[in-house]
Amino acid sequence: MYTPPLARLIEQLQRLPGIGPKSAQRLALYLLSRPREEVTALAHAILDCKEQVGHCQVCGYLSVDPICEICRNPDRDDSTICVVCDSRDVIALEKTREYWGKYHVLGGVISPMQGIGPDQLNIPTLVQRVVKGGVKEVILAINPTVEGETTTFYVGKLLKEFTKVTRIAFGIPIGGDLEYADEMTLIKAIEGRQELQ
Amino acid sequence: MFLHQLQLYNFRNYREQMVLFDQPKTIVVGANAQGKSNLLEAIQLLAVLQSFRVQRDRDLVQWGQRQGEIHGKCQRRYSTVDLCLRLFPHQRRTMLVNGVVVKTKDEFLGNLNAVLFSALDLELVRGSPEYRRDWLDRVLVQLEPLYIRLQQSYQRVLQQRNALLKGIKQGKMRYDPAQMELWNQQLVTIGSKVMFRRRRLIDRLSPLAQAWHRRISATETLTLSYLTRFPCGDDINAIQTAFYDHLQKRAIAEQQQGSSLVGPHRDDVQLQINSQPAKEYASQGQQRTLVLALKLAELELLQTVSGEPPLLLLDDVLAELDLSRQQALLSAVQPTAQTIITTTHLHNFADRWLHSAQILTVKDGEIQLNC
Ligand SMILES: Nc1ncnc2c1ncn2[C@@H]1O[C@H](COP(=O)(O)OP(=O)(O)OP(=O)(O)O)[C@@H](O)[C@H]1O
Ligand SMILES: [Mg+2]
Ligand SMILES: [Zn+2]
Repeated sequence: MYTPPLARLIEQLQRLPGIGPKSAQRLALYLLSRPREEVTALAHAILDCKEQVGHCQVCGYLSVDPICEICRNPDRDDSTICVVCDSRDVIALEKTREYWGKYHVLGGVISPMQGIGPDQLNIPTLVQRVVKGGVKEVILAINPTVEGETTTFYVGKLLKEFTKVTRIAFGIPIGGDLEYADEMTLIKAIEGRQELQ
Repeated sequence: MFLHQLQLYNFRNYREQMVLFDQPKTIVVGANAQGKSNLLEAIQLLAVLQSFRVQRDRDLVQWGQRQGEIHGKCQRRYSTVDLCLRLFPHQRRTMLVNGVVVKTKDEFLGNLNAVLFSALDLELVRGSPEYRRDWLDRVLVQLEPLYIRLQQSYQRVLQQRNALLKGIKQGKMRYDPAQMELWNQQLVTIGSKVMFRRRRLIDRLSPLAQAWHRRISATETLTLSYLTRFPCGDDINAIQTAFYDHLQKRAIAEQQQGSSLVGPHRDDVQLQINSQPAKEYASQGQQRTLVLALKLAELELLQTVSGEPPLLLLDDVLAELDLSRQQALLSAVQPTAQTIITTTHLHNFADRWLHSAQILTVKDGEIQLNC
């Protein structure tokens, strides 16, 4: 149905998350209709990204430089580290512009089924950062799945003797209605209740 | 509750079928392998999201088709619910309630309650503990839809913990006491909740089953008890403590075998007649009576809790019961409660079943209304 190079492109696009056969076809035909420069720019952007972007040596977040911008930023609070599962979580938290501490990206959660144990995660550098001193609080912000909970407790236990460790609360979204919150969220919200200041 | 409309597309041997139920009692008649059990299986899927016969959706979708669908309209006392389940051979299901996609099973469950009784239920007495655990779980998800989340989390912890034990045994993973301890804690925390709810269910079912059993058998006493691998008290804290202690005791054995040996996935329900284990001592007739008593207890409990009679689905079992047992069943079913019965022949039925029943004939995946 498609001429071979087009078929290859559609097939590649289809492998992307959230892209089905129909969207892949639409994207491919769109790209084909664009001027050469535009398509080249896109192709180069993809390649450059892959070749240049690595992980920050300190926190593990995506970065071109050995040490990322967040870690280098002198205005950010060195004494708070927020621990997350992957770089996507950093992006989400950064978008809020409310958090001014530093991060640490674990690169996954403990999952024996996928052969991921603490040794496969970016944990030793986190311990080093905390042991070095100056960290007043580590905030664990990991999804409360079965694997996430194990990871949260594992990391928490390692760090507890060196600093204060907290975890983010899970609960009702702001503007949400208690009546419509699902029951599991309600249970988590009640477990994570706080005293009214 | 009353299921007044059922539509099937590419489900088992049904291509496209609409069934309208217009009487409290429906009898579905057909020769072997025409689609009687398939019809009841579809209804049960709407109630518990699980088939009584197979695990994989691939077996439920009509062979060679890419998508199957079960769509039911149910009248509840104060509302109507529209339930739709889309099945795919190699993909997750889609669940819709009143036309809206729901993401979690607990949002779907509890809308339609049903008790299915088939020849397979004799395994409740004779079969492995798994049959009895599955039975408890099927009742629980209807009574307490949130139970499905506990069950899923427990399953997940168990799989992870088993992967770890296996990895250690095969030398692929390092034995890390800190990590093991965390899986232990999760196994215990979630597992204890599963055990607690199952045991509470047995406590509620037991007197009901005993009373029904007494009515049918006249002299015998049936007792149900939830069997754990370790003795423990009734409240959740006592279960947790005992579970945790026992896990420590079995740690070496678990490492040798490379799998989890303690927890609700190893529990059982003990059925005794006059203090004798039914599995070993009950005659065929006694086993039938026992299973019937369990089903009647299930029916009664669902009715009490939801305030509405659940659907009763009888797959080829009614004609097998003698008249006195049929009578017991009749007395348990409210005249207005919906009952759907499959059979190969219309004889052997007590007259009261046939009276004013809607009779449907099924042949090769198609249903016709008999006049
Ligand atoms: N996925 C499927 N696609 C197409 N046909 C199927 C599928 N699964 C099962 N069948 C067919 O459905 C037919 C009817 O099965 P069902 O179990 O409903 O029979 P039944 O009427 O209950 O028969 P019996 O009286 O023997 O219990 C069988 O012949 C089987 O081959
Ligand atoms: Mg059958
Ligand atoms: Zn960094």
